[in-house]
Amino acid sequence: MDTVFKGEHLMPGHLGQFFIILSFGTALLSTISYYFATTQADKLDQSWFRLGRLSFYVNTISVVAIGSCLFYIIYNHLFEYHYAWAHSSRTLPVYYIISSYWEGQEGSFWLWTFWQAVLGNILIWKAKSWEKPVMTVVSLSQVLLSSMLIGVEVFGARVGSSPFILLRNAIEAPIFSQPGYLEFIKDGNGLNPLLQNYWMVIHPPTLFLGFASMIIPFAYAVAGLWQRRYKEWIAAAIPYALFAVMILGTGIIMGSFWAYESLNFGGFWNWDPVENASVIPWLVLIAAVHVMIVYKNSGHSYFTATLLTLLSFVLVLYASFMTRSGILGETSVHAFTDLGMFWHLVIDVLVFFAIMVGLLIWRWKELPINKKEEETYSREFWMFVGSAFLGLSCLQLVVVTSIPVWNAMFKTHIAPPTNPITLYNIFQAGFAFVVTLFMGFTQFLKYKKTDTTRFFITTLVYMVVSALVTGLIIYITGLYKLKFVFMLAMFGAVYGVLANSKILSEALKGKIKLAGSAVAHIGFALLLVGALIAAGTSKVVSQNETGVIQVKGFEKAGDARENIMLYKNQPVQMGDYKVTYIGDSLVAPNHYFKVDYKRYDAAGKVTEHFILKPNSQANAKFGLVSSPDTKHYLLHDLYTHITAAPIKEEENMTAGTTGDSHEHEANDDKNYEPPVPYQVAVGDTIRYREGYVILRSLNKQPKLQNIPLTGNDVAVGAVLEIVSHDIKYTAEPVFMIKGGNSFDFPRKVDDAGLKLRFSKIIPQENKFEITLYQQPERSKAYIVMRAINFPYINFFWAGTIIMVIGFVMSIFRRSKELKVV
Amino acid sequence: MKKSSILGIVVIAIAIAVIISTYSNTSTYGSFHDAEKTQDELHIVGHLNKGKQLYYEPTKDANYFSFYMLDNKGEECKVVFTGTKPQDFERSEQIVLTGQMRGKEFHASKILMKCPSKYTQDKIETTEATATTKQANI
Repeated sequence: MDTVFKGEHLMPGHLGQFFIILSFGTALLSTISYYFATTQADKLDQSWFRLGRLSFYVNTISVVAIGSCLFYIIYNHLFEYHYAWAHSSRTLPVYYIISSYWEGQEGSFWLWTFWQAVLGNILIWKAKSWEKPVMTVVSLSQVLLSSMLIGVEVFGARVGSSPFILLRNAIEAPIFSQPGYLEFIKDGNGLNPLLQNYWMVIHPPTLFLGFASMIIPFAYAVAGLWQRRYKEWIAAAIPYALFAVMILGTGIIMGSFWAYESLNFGGFWNWDPVENASVIPWLVLIAAVHVMIVYKNSGHSYFTATLLTLLSFVLVLYASFMTRSGILGETSVHAFTDLGMFWHLVIDVLVFFAIMVGLLIWRWKELPINKKEEETYSREFWMFVGSAFLGLSCLQLVVVTSIPVWNAMFKTHIAPPTNPITLYNIFQAGFAFVVTLFMGFTQFLKYKKTDTTRFFITTLVYMVVSALVTGLIIYITGLYKLKFVFMLAMFGAVYGVLANSKILSEALKGKIKLAGSAVAHIGFALLLVGALIAAGTSKVVSQNETGVIQVKGFEKAGDARENIMLYKNQPVQMGDYKVTYIGDSLVAPNHYFKVDYKRYDAAGKVTEHFILKPNSQANAKFGLVSSPDTKHYLLHDLYTHITAAPIKEEENMTAGTTGDSHEHEANDDKNYEPPVPYQVAVGDTIRYREGYVILRSLNKQPKLQNIPLTGNDVAVGAVLEIVSHDIKYTAEPVFMIKGGNSFDFPRKVDDAGLKLRFSKIIPQENKFEITLYQQPERSKAYIVMRAINFPYINFFWAGTIIMVIGFVMSIFRRSKELKVV
Repeated sequence: MKKSSILGIVVIAIAIAVIISTYSNTSTYGSFHDAEKTQDELHIVGHLNKGKQLYYEPTKDANYFSFYMLDNKGEECKVVFTGTKPQDFERSEQIVLTGQMRGKEFHASKILMKCPSKYTQDKIETTEATATTKQANI
């Protein structure tokens, strides 16, 4: 049955699909050509080499073309394409179109191939004699990555997942049998509200540039073993490895900042498998860089340097397998689901794992392994030990994160630890202590051999000073309430900062080229200091101590009651602050809750006043999604987010309507407690539960829309002043006699939870009847929120920035040392 | 003995310690029946009993949420969670609880839920697509 569908734009999809096939083909051709260019005996024959380059150029062009086609589709809202329909919508602003671009797996794979293509071109330009073998490996990786996008059936199995698949092919539904189905698809699903954040525009590209650049040290290691240039590859690969570490680290922290700013788990690091998956290769590559430097300076630890470098990239692939294959199903809420690429991803990991193991075995006998013992008091030995511990910390992350993988492999049914975060924290703090300690005292050692007495004296002096500083920090921040291991980690971090500061001050006096590593180390140690204090001593400010109704069995649960409930305009004391939920503002599709914070001094004067606007988005597709708002101080952050609010769907969100329609009158009254009529004169006060109402005056000419008044008709407005929780409102209900019948028009004051009727005029007594409708407590507008205080979190962000600066300095130093041939 | 061998032994020892401690820290997936017999925390996989009322009244207590869940063996139990109702809870397809039994109630310290809409988009999309078909018939 061939239906001709109306209104589809098939051109960009066909073009995109063509470029996908082309990019796969050219990557394959480039791999083969570079392979033969590397292995051929005739060194003068440049034909393979030229072909390799040419096909890589074409590959780059096709990758860019794929991106352009996809962008065209999303930008023009061509919802006949599944990708555009699933990840974008018409209301999305352009900069979020960019984030919707990589919300799906296909888009993020594209991003990865794109960066790999860019890096490949840089290598063609810079790598000189390394180009042929290195580009063989890079092209091979490009082959595997672009195969993820193919989306073509081969022998009954779909290979990869194409971003250009049509909606009608992706989903089965009766609607697609109609030729004009597109008319009914008005809009896409839109982007997950949590991803509508400016960090999501730049975090994925940075992270994927990091992942992509990890192929380069791997490729150099392979090239070194393959071409028997055992010693040379290390020096050439160090700057690239540093680059990868820097970018990936930045990307990871950006993700953490995004989580802190827009997710509501209340923190910046959660040891989620998805987070672990990107940290594992990062830590391994850091260890690799250190051992590479050891080898370069001392000739020791060749095997470890090579192994770790190779392993780091295999772990990148393993990480992408874990997050993309759906295997993490029951342990992570963030992982992608399976797009039918499970085995494809497994093959990807296995291919590169086989290359690693195969090469190491093949060249085992020739490896320049130093048989001589390292000196105990040498920098290389302790750098090596430190890296080994870094590796062990990764091992712990890998073993725990991979529990679902072990289950799948060994058909077991082990559940992850009940409290994984504590487990990770304790282990990683222990490793952090050891690693930072080494990071400190190794600075006092020299390569080859060190004068031991001097070393012991400086080490000890710095240890004592650090212990004092640490004691002070622990005392001030209250870290002593935590487990001992966190205090040890704090000591290590402080020691790391101080020892490296000494090196930095020396470097500034003369040996400036050594400054890079010192700066990076200081940054890393500060990052740890910030993380330890902020995560360890963060305090829930919104402790719930008010008289809530005790639910049976509740006390036994003994959990902290971390949420407080705020009725609109009723101030509640929360820690040092008096907080009030003062209203809402709607900037579609976000619903902002204005929470007013006031802090008073002893005399009762307001010393501080600010408003936070945490928001929720009641999204038809994603449900209620909340984002926090944070007040940043220099030394701490006050973080506030909404955990519950009575908003349900987008339709109900027309807040602030003060309707007075008669049709719904009877129904509307149900929202209030039984009415109470009061007979008052002008100037009288009516007291009610939350305040009082004063009848100020009568208005003989009230405004009435669409009701013409004739000679005998009378309309009178009662000018009322309402004071509820120290906030003034006014309302003017109207009483009317028209054609002999009396009517009245009630007015609502939603913020005060009141409806007021001017129900009768009693001329004999010169009194007026005002009927008061109060909203019952429970149907009044409220929010439930949680507020957390994160002390010293700025150390965490500042440490990151300092670390990146250190990496940049090191990259310059290492590439200057290098004369590429 | 060479230093590197000592180091090797230390590293291997720590590695083994890590693996053993990981294994001893893992918990088990169980049922409510298992939970009754143990004092330890465990994971229970199941789904929400949509026929019974969810209880969350923030106006009374913002930190109390209870519901009825059926575990994978079909056994039903009341679950109490100290905290706010997770967003979109009604739409969950599968729930993984971590917690322990207290009397007749299961007190969950953590709730992980899978919503079909967020993670496998195509399912919810089908329902939306059929809704538009109805419109077409009119």
